[in-house]
Amino acid sequence: MGIPEIEDAGCLLCFGYNGADSHPIVARRIVRGKQKGMKIICADPRVTETARISDIHLQLKGGSNLALVNAMANVIWNEGLADKKFIDEHTKGFDEFLKVIEKYTPEYAEPITHIPAETIRRAARVYATTKPAMILYGMGVCQFTQAVDVVKGLANLALMTGNFGGPSMGIGPVRGQNNVQGACDMGALPNSYPGYQNVTVPEIREKFEKAWGVPLSDQVGCPITHVPHRILHEKEEKKRIHAYYIFGEDPAQSDPDLAEVREALDKCDFVVMQDIYMNKTGLYADVILPATAWGENEGIYTCADRGFQRVRKLIEPEGDMRPDWQIIADISTAMGYPMNYKNTEEIWNEMIDLCPSFTGATYEKIEKYGGVQWPCRDKSMEDKGTPYLHKDGIFATKDHKALFYGTDWHPPVELENDQYPMTLSTVREVGHYSVRTMTGNCRTLRNLEDEPGWVQMNTEDCEKMNLKKGELVKILSKRGYCITRCLPTDRVKPGATYMTYQWWIGACNELTTAKLDPISNTPEYKYCACRVEKIEDQQWAERHVMELYDDIRAQMGIDTGKGAKA
Amino acid sequence: MNYFVKGNPDLCIGCRTCMIGCVVAHEGKHIFEVDPDSYSFNPKLHMVKTANLSVPVQCKHCENPACMAVCPVGAISQKDHCIVIDTEKCMGCKSCMDACPFGAINMTVQTGKFQADGTEKKVANKCDLCYGFSGGPACVRVCPTEALTLVTEDELGDAMERKRAEAARNAYLETHPQE
Amino acid sequence: MKKEIGSFVVGDSTKCTGCKACELACFTVHNRKSNHLGKTVGTVTVPVTPRLFLTKFEQGCMPIQCKHCEDAPCLNACTKGAISRIDHQVIVDAEKCIGCKDCMQACPFGAIALLPYARDGRLVGQAMSSEPKVFASKCDLCEGIEGGPACVRVCPHQALRLVDPEAEREEKNIRAAEALLLTKNWR
Repeated sequence: MGIPEIEDAGCLLCFGYNGADSHPIVARRIVRGKQKGMKIICADPRVTETARISDIHLQLKGGSNLALVNAMANVIWNEGLADKKFIDEHTKGFDEFLKVIEKYTPEYAEPITHIPAETIRRAARVYATTKPAMILYGMGVCQFTQAVDVVKGLANLALMTGNFGGPSMGIGPVRGQNNVQGACDMGALPNSYPGYQNVTVPEIREKFEKAWGVPLSDQVGCPITHVPHRILHEKEEKKRIHAYYIFGEDPAQSDPDLAEVREALDKCDFVVMQDIYMNKTGLYADVILPATAWGENEGIYTCADRGFQRVRKLIEPEGDMRPDWQIIADISTAMGYPMNYKNTEEIWNEMIDLCPSFTGATYEKIEKYGGVQWPCRDKSMEDKGTPYLHKDGIFATKDHKALFYGTDWHPPVELENDQYPMTLSTVREVGHYSVRTMTGNCRTLRNLEDEPGWVQMNTEDCEKMNLKKGELVKILSKRGYCITRCLPTDRVKPGATYMTYQWWIGACNELTTAKLDPISNTPEYKYCACRVEKIEDQQWAERHVMELYDDIRAQMGIDTGKGAKA
Repeated sequence: MNYFVKGNPDLCIGCRTCMIGCVVAHEGKHIFEVDPDSYSFNPKLHMVKTANLSVPVQCKHCENPACMAVCPVGAISQKDHCIVIDTEKCMGCKSCMDACPFGAINMTVQTGKFQADGTEKKVANKCDLCYGFSGGPACVRVCPTEALTLVTEDELGDAMERKRAEAARNAYLETHPQE
Repeated sequence: MKKEIGSFVVGDSTKCTGCKACELACFTVHNRKSNHLGKTVGTVTVPVTPRLFLTKFEQGCMPIQCKHCEDAPCLNACTKGAISRIDHQVIVDAEKCIGCKDCMQACPFGAIALLPYARDGRLVGQAMSSEPKVFASKCDLCEGIEGGPACVRVCPHQALRLVDPEAEREEKNIRAAEALLLTKNWR
């Protein structure tokens, strides 16, 4: 499915996805859909903007995703709302799946999810009976130790209701970053070459070896979230990481358990950072390679809906910096593998010829149509790409049948306890993008929100602790602490706290846990135990925060506006 | 009649682009050239978020404005369909702020202007419908979900006439069901 | 967030009966220490110098007091530097005040009066004159006095209100936003 299809869905199940804060432009489609009469079911522990305009808000307890999804499947089956024809003709494994979801009655799920059984039933009925029904899911699904299982669970819902293979249906991962899809498409994953071609398949490896003229490894690489461990604790010398080339990423801000990340970056023999602005990781870098920003370079991004889009250069970069592709080519050349590309199109053409599902996505076509959604296999102008996948229920498996996967729910790894009685989940806020390497340097966005950020807490919790809006508080977990401002709001439930992860002072990743989903290797950012403490001396705290901020900015060599700047 | 900008909570996603649009429109492009700390960020509308509501609130440009009535120095006046504050005349007494029932007026720092004892000068700040700028209110133009509209006399008048006609028709149909 | 602008007290003419309890309370709390005021009439040895002023007009009456302006004309007019902003409030230093009357003329509310200055239960005199020293008497929001503005506390008809302008503004914003829910589909 494509992003523009959202507004034409009959029903939207928005699961752990807060479009208004992470992708306002996608949120616009949701708002438009609502205006056109789309039914919205929103599963989110907070009252997000989408929850606010939803027909049914499933305000579940954090960490109970799969229990809710399985319960919805249970209702759909037991109330005879499933599309049996679609299940018979296009899927496999349904009977095994039924055995798993059998026990997930809404009554069974109610104490886990904190959602009344009747509300779960109502949501399941609306989803199953309103066609076409689309699912969008975001980091509220992916950033748990049980993430992939929930994605499969959502796919089960779409499969059992026949919501695959047509426009405005299916399930859509709305990615965490603008070009995450592009990075994955281009093989920036430990297990694949560009175009999702697995590194362990000999024929594929041979194809790339031939094209690039070098022998290539048949081993799966190291996921980013394993890096700190592989630097600090790896016993086998051969497997230990000594050099770390970080490119457009700020692990010293964005990765969980920052204390461990800092130790790893400190101990790592050689750290290279390639980015457009200074960031926290840069403080640990031995070499910094300054790259150009959007508007200063050109290339192709992939949108969350698999759409390749051209980005173009608007202005000449000033100063000692280069586009990322040129830096990579120079480094490669210096390391003995010459890369002599003249422009990004040459690189693109080499790539699409090696990736069958991208082959048809030529610059010419992307230019002409404004964008091309892969798979696009043929270079002829007639092949305009694929707006939605699995057309007519034909899936990308050997026998073209989709597979049901039933899994049992398990709770998050670190639960509330006496010492840390509340939960913390990382979230986004509109205005600041990701770790704000970019937006922190945009003055008006900085005017809207600046250090040390906010912790969203339920009004009742704040009253109990006598916390006022804007008061500085200390928030702690087993792994560390940070200082941030208290934001009392009735949009969150008692006992839960939410922080955005871009602040240097109010850095919630000091607190988060590095426990990973076993398949995706994504950390459980959305759940850890924490405690909030009142700070009695607010004047000291205000001064302390300013000192910390000025100190970090000074370390980064940022002109704090207090010096002599024209 | 005075015009006013109105937000629709069904369309608003709380992104605050309106607030930035407002500041950029009033400060001018120079804010992208000067030192980031040398201008003051004073949006003339306020994003309100409650448990079930997100929408910006701004001046209604009342026909009998309470703010204008209480101003002791005549700094608030009506000009071309809007109520504007003369920040040169304003002395920051907050009477208007207290009088406004919508909370549409706040006090903002006048960058680079100080009182006799060296403390910052603050004056009343509120929506002026982008008075004097071309293109109409910036907030309306920049909103990504088109949640803001400029309500003019014609629009409001037309709507009222339409509603009256509809009410009359309905009343007629009730007594003449066969038609 | 820290308080950015000054608070003030306002009167409500629909409730005020003109009893002047506010004026007396104001005088009392400001002179307890400096002029040894007790709880009975007999302890008053100095002139009554209130910092707010019960004002009668055609339709009624109400106390008038300082708004603690953010670009305060009185402060800007004071050549002697006797008026300054302390913790967001506009405060007169009576010791420094020379009674030049500029602040009185600058204030658009008439919130300042020149009143005799007393210390230790006696009027303070001045050299070369038989007239006592005066000072610009205006509301200081009972700075340093426990319990906050005395006028608000003593008013028998709750005709006085301490305004935290920014907090009230935010509350009014919320009510205005809620009202928009009723008008959203007006077309």
